[in-house]
Amino acid sequence: MSTAYPIPSDISPVTVKNTASLLRIVALALISGAAIASRLFAVVNFESIIHEFCFRSRATRVLAAKGFYEFWNWFDPTAWYPLGRVVGGTVYPGLMVTSGVIYNILHALNLPVDIRNVCVLLAPGFSALTAWATYMFTKEMKDESAGLLAAAFIGIVPGYISRSVAGSYDNEAIAIFLLMFTFYCWIKALKQGSALFGTVAAVFYFYMVAAWGGYVFITNMIPLHALVLVLMGRYSDRLYVAYSSWYAIGTLSSMQVPFVGFQPVSTSEHMGALGVFGLLQIVAFGQLVRTHVSSQQFQKLLFGSVVATGILGAFAFIFLTYKGMIAPWTGRFYSLWDTGYAKKYIPIIASVSEHQPTAWPSFFMDLQFLIFLFPAGVILCFRELRDEHLFVIIYAVMASYFAGVMVRLMLTLTPVVCVASAIALSTLLDTYIDPTEPPVPEDVDDAASVATNGSSAGPAPKKGKKAANTSAIPGAKGVLGDILSATTPATKGAAAKPKGIFGIDARLVVILNTLMMLFFFVFHCTWVTSNAYSSPSVVLASQNPDGSQHIIDDFREAYYWLRQNTPQDAVVMSWWDYGYQIAGMADRPTLVDNNTWNNTHIATVGKAMSSSEEVAYPILRKHDVDYVLVIFGGLIGYSGDDINKFLWMVRIAQGVWPDEIQEPNYFTPQGEYRIDDRASTAMKESLMYKMSYYRFNELFGGNTGTDRVRQQQVPKVGPTLDYLDEAFTSENWIVRIYQVKKEDSLGRDLKSANHFSQGKKRKRSKPAPRRRAIV
Amino acid sequence: MFSLRGLLALSLVLISLANAKSSTGNSVLVVVEPTRQGDFSIFFDGLKGQGYDLTFRAPKDEVPPIIEYDEASFAHVVVLASETKNFAKDITPQSLITLLDLKTNIIVALSTKQTPLTSLAPEFSLILPPPGTPLISYFPKRDEPASVIPISPSKHDATNILSKNLAPIWFSGIPQARGNNPLLIPILHAPSQSFASEVDGGSADALVDSAEKGGEGLWAGSQLGVVTGFQTLGGSRITWLGGADVLSDEFARKEVSKGVASGNTQFARDVAAWTFQESLVLRIDKTEHHRLNETEPQELYTTNDQLVYSIYISKYNAKKSTWEPYSGLKDLQLEFTMLDPHVRTSLPSVAGTPGKYSTSFRAPDRHGVFKFVVDYKRKGWTHLHSSTTVPVVPPRHDEYPRFLSAAWPYYAGAISTSVAFFLFSAIWLAGEVREGTKRSAKSSKVE
Repeated sequence: MSTAYPIPSDISPVTVKNTASLLRIVALALISGAAIASRLFAVVNFESIIHEFCFRSRATRVLAAKGFYEFWNWFDPTAWYPLGRVVGGTVYPGLMVTSGVIYNILHALNLPVDIRNVCVLLAPGFSALTAWATYMFTKEMKDESAGLLAAAFIGIVPGYISRSVAGSYDNEAIAIFLLMFTFYCWIKALKQGSALFGTVAAVFYFYMVAAWGGYVFITNMIPLHALVLVLMGRYSDRLYVAYSSWYAIGTLSSMQVPFVGFQPVSTSEHMGALGVFGLLQIVAFGQLVRTHVSSQQFQKLLFGSVVATGILGAFAFIFLTYKGMIAPWTGRFYSLWDTGYAKKYIPIIASVSEHQPTAWPSFFMDLQFLIFLFPAGVILCFRELRDEHLFVIIYAVMASYFAGVMVRLMLTLTPVVCVASAIALSTLLDTYIDPTEPPVPEDVDDAASVATNGSSAGPAPKKGKKAANTSAIPGAKGVLGDILSATTPATKGAAAKPKGIFGIDARLVVILNTLMMLFFFVFHCTWVTSNAYSSPSVVLASQNPDGSQHIIDDFREAYYWLRQNTPQDAVVMSWWDYGYQIAGMADRPTLVDNNTWNNTHIATVGKAMSSSEEVAYPILRKHDVDYVLVIFGGLIGYSGDDINKFLWMVRIAQGVWPDEIQEPNYFTPQGEYRIDDRASTAMKESLMYKMSYYRFNELFGGNTGTDRVRQQQVPKVGPTLDYLDEAFTSENWIVRIYQVKKEDSLGRDLKSANHFSQGKKRKRSKPAPRRRAIV
Repeated sequence: MFSLRGLLALSLVLISLANAKSSTGNSVLVVVEPTRQGDFSIFFDGLKGQGYDLTFRAPKDEVPPIIEYDEASFAHVVVLASETKNFAKDITPQSLITLLDLKTNIIVALSTKQTPLTSLAPEFSLILPPPGTPLISYFPKRDEPASVIPISPSKHDATNILSKNLAPIWFSGIPQARGNNPLLIPILHAPSQSFASEVDGGSADALVDSAEKGGEGLWAGSQLGVVTGFQTLGGSRITWLGGADVLSDEFARKEVSKGVASGNTQFARDVAAWTFQESLVLRIDKTEHHRLNETEPQELYTTNDQLVYSIYISKYNAKKSTWEPYSGLKDLQLEFTMLDPHVRTSLPSVAGTPGKYSTSFRAPDRHGVFKFVVDYKRKGWTHLHSSTTVPVVPPRHDEYPRFLSAAWPYYAGAISTSVAFFLFSAIWLAGEVREGTKRSAKSSKVE
């Protein structure tokens, strides 16, 4: 027997099996540790705070303090003032309930952990679970070694870390775990035809529905998979059992979430699942009939009736949509197919940076070398094309498209990229670590290729080799020996055409190269995580000239100012990006917030911001606004400020008041967006412009100031404010807060009142003529 | 210490013995030229007799300051120095408006001369004629000069401010045309035959001239006011007199006709009573809201709840210096507002309880942050404004009706399916034995 390197032959199969499983457990534990540790940069560098979406942590506090029923019935009068928000019915409660349960368990065990720390560390904890779920999923696709690779990838890949660092208390933190685990259960149910696994998949699907709006992805992925299987003639009773149990239980339970309600039976997004469910019943019936009647004509008739029923069903669906019984596709959905749609019709969706089409570099940034292993993995799936491989292929195609449309959906692409790349890389390693030499065609035992069975993830090559050594025993048929033989065909048909790898040097070149890529991947992930994804959005970091870190803490400074210096019920108006932060940190009512459910209300704020003071003042008074908050980055060069977002406010306001607000008015005649002397009148008159640049020149001692974000000189004569008073400006001018003046006590408009108190004379007026002059 | 307290008590007793006093304070600063101080002795003595503490100050004196450390030093200010062109630094049009914002009440007299106060009037939507043009009337025929006019209050004047059956009032000064500011309260109108012109210009030429100059905005007729009140949104009151003489001793003693005393004394008292917050002063004592058949207010209400809202209003009784419950308002309204009023209903007084106004209504079927708003603004009266914020929430998850008769088809469907499934299972299981034997026989045959 010729092998590329010596293999010990005196180890019993039981020892090999046990060692391999022990190594797998150790590897998984290490991967979990790495996944959690790499997400703690934010806590180490800054502090243990929630980065964004303070609302969810606030809701969790309510849940932990008052219990589930109070949370369910919670009406938040401070959000969307004065409309209020029915929180229980407009929120996916999964995240809050999860952390509330963990909090209660910890307290039941007499571990007095603060709810904030539970929230902060929830995402890293669940990322370890995601790694495990991905391992299980990939194991079903290929084998354990691929599973370990996939787990390692998903543990540290930046595309997933971006949404799950410690402190990012967001729905996605738990949703990706649920996504992967539901898919795993579905594959398992499909493979075994198991109603139990179908039910488990349904239960986790329910959890997913309760946790994230992205559950619609599962709702459409599984039916699509089932449909493709049926169309490929791969219908089986296993599919029927798995799908029916998943759909029936999953749909009924998902309707228990108050926010979802009757959507699963009334909106277009969910109709695919229902349609496939119906189709499966028909096909199953057809199969049943076919087993009893063996006439060829009858089968044709059956086929015809199936097609006719399908067409009828489609027509019924269209009819119901037309009659309004089924809600049509939502705008968010359309924007997935036409990237320009949102910009035209729903600017509020397009205005979010997460909803922009993905830039190409970000694929590399988020996935590094996985992005070019990914297609290889998908092609490898085609080689065997079992039912579950079809799932990966469909998932890969769909997710790639969606990730290209929206930055945010990179998150759903990441798991499948990890899985496919792990399959590809594992196949590569299998091929090259396999010690079998090709020119010996006679008694090449497939078992040799099982050698890589226990090879753990790339970063642990020694273990892999050891496992390979220990398991290369005749008769030690690995768990998935047949898969390997299929993926390494070179060892089979070698007699006709000797193909394969000769000698240890050829192997080493490839394996060392692969190892190097894996090392680079780890370095890249660590670097991206620590630099790009681990800064809380409320705290900015910059570098001092000597290289030390300088923390810019303007946001919290301003929010604490609001908390300390304004009455409890003072209403604060700001653009919606800061709504949750104001509610969470300053504890003041806000007009609009990140839960963008009411477009008109947001447009009202947009209109107030983009109109002149005289027009904005009645709007502010009507909504009882006491303070207006703007973000201004012109002084220190913080580019995510309100002037840069201003055009979206204009667009959103224009969507509701096309007669009063027109976007072209805010550009110069040359079509430039300027804030200097050449800025348009509407721009200079707008409340947002005035509030941003009010007294900006004074900072430069009489010289004209320079806006460091726009790189433009502001006009020499700065804007004046009549209806607002500057109340607070933070250290670096990032947050500026203005107080809305009370109405003039003499009933004058505030502009002339201001003129008077500055000592300017009013023009002499005459009594209004009551009669027409006789000429 | 004891003596001081005793003194304090004594002064309190003395004050309560006084005839009438203001609801906001008794200190009055009078800004008047020392030479003219004696001309208004009847007016001043009247104020003193009512219990006011008068402090006199010449226009150019620096002390006492009217505003000290952003606090008003006096409860009321009377500016009778109508012809003074140069006031001390702290009396400017701007500082007078600040005074009003500090809840001080003011009486200001104008004159035909251009003074700093002339530029203050436009801020109150009062339009003054050009300098040197007093109000002139040749009717009724009398011995006095044409610029000294007896004005009898008509029904267009502020009847709730002025006493009833007031004798004609001697007036000399300038008229004011009023802008359309709703806060203005016309107290006394000019007679319909009167007009503003130069004193000597009784000639027709002057009339034609002024008509040409002023166009149709001729300063004439009963639309002009001679004494005009103004109540700011903050509740402080200011009265503009067309001329200081209307308060003077000379006019007070001057007979309107043989044996009939002029109404000036009473008029001055009425105007001072209104301006100094003695008459037509209301306040809201408290408001309460609760669900029907309950007494305690809820933190939040549910949509479609039947709500009861009550408000208690008192009126100031200057004679007794007390606040008394007042049920006399007939047109009080309640609004239940979220952005716009969702409910607007009248708020009638409750028969048994003086001063209480109450109504009951159904909360709208709309959740949100609502406000109970009572906004009562009537000319002359204190503005009443009350706003109570209360969230209205949708029903709790267990407050919806449980079993709906309309849903019986679904109940029937669910029950029948369950029963059918049970029966099917039972029959299937019961039939298992025979079937099983047959099947096993079959299968054994096949094998």
